[in-house]
Amino acid sequence: MIELGWYPVFLKEMLHFRRKLLKLGYLFSAMVVPIIYLIAFGFGLGGSVRIDGTSYLAFLIPGLVAMSSMNNSYTWVSSTLNLSRLYFKTFQVYVQAPIAPSSIMIGEVLAGMIKGLFASALIVIVGILSAPDFRITFLFCVALLLNCFLFANMGVIVGMLTKSHEDTATYSNFFIMPMAFFAGTFFPVDKMPTLFKGVVYVLPLTHTNILIRKAGMDAEAWVSLGILAVYAALCFVCGSKLIRGYSE
Amino acid sequence: MIELEGLTRVYQGGRGAVRAVDGLSLTVGNSEVFGLLGPNGAGKTTAIKMMTTLSRPDAGRCLVGGFDVVREPGKIRERIGVVPQENNLERELTARENLTIYAMLHRVRDAERRIEENLRRVDLWDRRDSVVTGFSGGMQRRLLLARALLAEPSVLFLDEPSIGLDPQIRRQLWDSIRKTRIDGRTVVITTHYIEEAEALCDRVGILCRGKLVALDSPENLKRSVGECVVEFIDAEGKLVQHIHRGRGEANADAAGEHNSSVTVRKTNLEDVFIKLTGERIE
Ligand SMILES: Nc1ncnc2c1ncn2[C@@H]1O[C@H](COP(=O)(O)OP(=O)(O)OP(=O)(O)O)[C@@H](O)[C@H]1O
Ligand SMILES: [Mg+2]
Repeated sequence: MIELGWYPVFLKEMLHFRRKLLKLGYLFSAMVVPIIYLIAFGFGLGGSVRIDGTSYLAFLIPGLVAMSSMNNSYTWVSSTLNLSRLYFKTFQVYVQAPIAPSSIMIGEVLAGMIKGLFASALIVIVGILSAPDFRITFLFCVALLLNCFLFANMGVIVGMLTKSHEDTATYSNFFIMPMAFFAGTFFPVDKMPTLFKGVVYVLPLTHTNILIRKAGMDAEAWVSLGILAVYAALCFVCGSKLIRGYSE
Repeated sequence: MIELEGLTRVYQGGRGAVRAVDGLSLTVGNSEVFGLLGPNGAGKTTAIKMMTTLSRPDAGRCLVGGFDVVREPGKIRERIGVVPQENNLERELTARENLTIYAMLHRVRDAERRIEENLRRVDLWDRRDSVVTGFSGGMQRRLLLARALLAEPSVLFLDEPSIGLDPQIRRQLWDSIRKTRIDGRTVVITTHYIEEAEALCDRVGILCRGKLVALDSPENLKRSVGECVVEFIDAEGKLVQHIHRGRGEANADAAGEHNSSVTVRKTNLEDVFIKLTGERIE
């Protein structure tokens, strides 16, 4: 029999998401941060800087998509799990249901991906309107999906580990925030000093940024794809283990 | 059937380890209504969490329907329904959405019909499309009960099911629990309402600091401490209670007290409880 246990988990998140979307303020606040970046960096630097033969805007927009999909997938999953475990206690309902721990994992991750893709779509729309040389390639889509998947998985891990809701912010300040700025969102990482580069190439978002800007597969793209896939697989296994080991 | 053997759970807290459940052993038979009684912090909820596969025991064994909570939790989850002490409904979803998700999680057949049936049973069908946040405490408890019964579990765990219910609804709840028993279901219930335990339970276990201090039918428990209670208010305004083996003894005691407030009544479970645990229930 096909295991469909993930579907109710996913459906529940989507019902919540739909309710949120119906509140106007939500849509607005989801768009505000990337648009601020776009105006501050894109239009500010835009005219004077060119990178790899394209306009700065066409360079920046894929980076903003990577950053925003990371943020949204990660935050949605980590805060949902954290709250449902510690505050609303609704996580108990999943644990006491006859579904596999990996089903809970898959349902939450898919929901996080939808959230990340939604935020990305908003930026892509702005991108198409404002940067004529911005293109969506096949690799762009692969990188985006993989990125959402990876960071939704990380969201599960953090959501299962945190002992209070404030903890979520701590993880995000030490890990997610720096990554957003140093992993090639706003400028290419190969311009960085060598020592720094070593650290930056360990960060998963760096590889999303490399992949999402490639026109076609080359050696560097394969390496980045491999690293992202390994990270994603590891996180999936860890997250499932944490859910399986859940005990109050 | 439920079998506990030396079941133990230790919580590591700020002030050292707490043995919330400490070597609990008992057996609950098929289609029995079993009550767990005990003062606040006695370990009732912790025991239920272990039986319902939510907490892993630190020691001992726990079988539900012949399956081990640690090795075969999935088999147990197919067979149980739980009303938790702390509300764990999806508050931003409607009553019907809550039950729909639950029905999917438990692969309930003919879900639409079962959902309607159960919402009607707890008088919430008219509110099916209202968001749970707008429900009163009692309505939320009723929705929890409807949810717990949705997958027709063979063992039902009710952790303080009637908290916040008005007397009339509480009677209805009792009726549905009794009816549930007729269907051959095993019920484990914790409660602070002594009359609830007396009205429903075939047997009662009294828990104190994680340990079982008594286990028998309400009748036998009452008989074991004495059949009659002499009660009066003393000169300082304090309630005094003497438990006596028989009516004759009690009457003699009452006559000797020379106090106008003196009464003689039958022992109830609360007297047993106070005698055994030294604590009052709420
Ligand atoms: N998550 C936890 N962490 C630490 N200690 C806990 C935890 N849960 C329960 N305890 C402790 O375990 C003991 C038993 O708690 P439990 O909730 O099982 O009692 P209870 O009999 O259900 O009480 P009540 O009648 O108030 O519901 C208490 O001393 C409590 O402080
Ligand atoms: Mg309790």
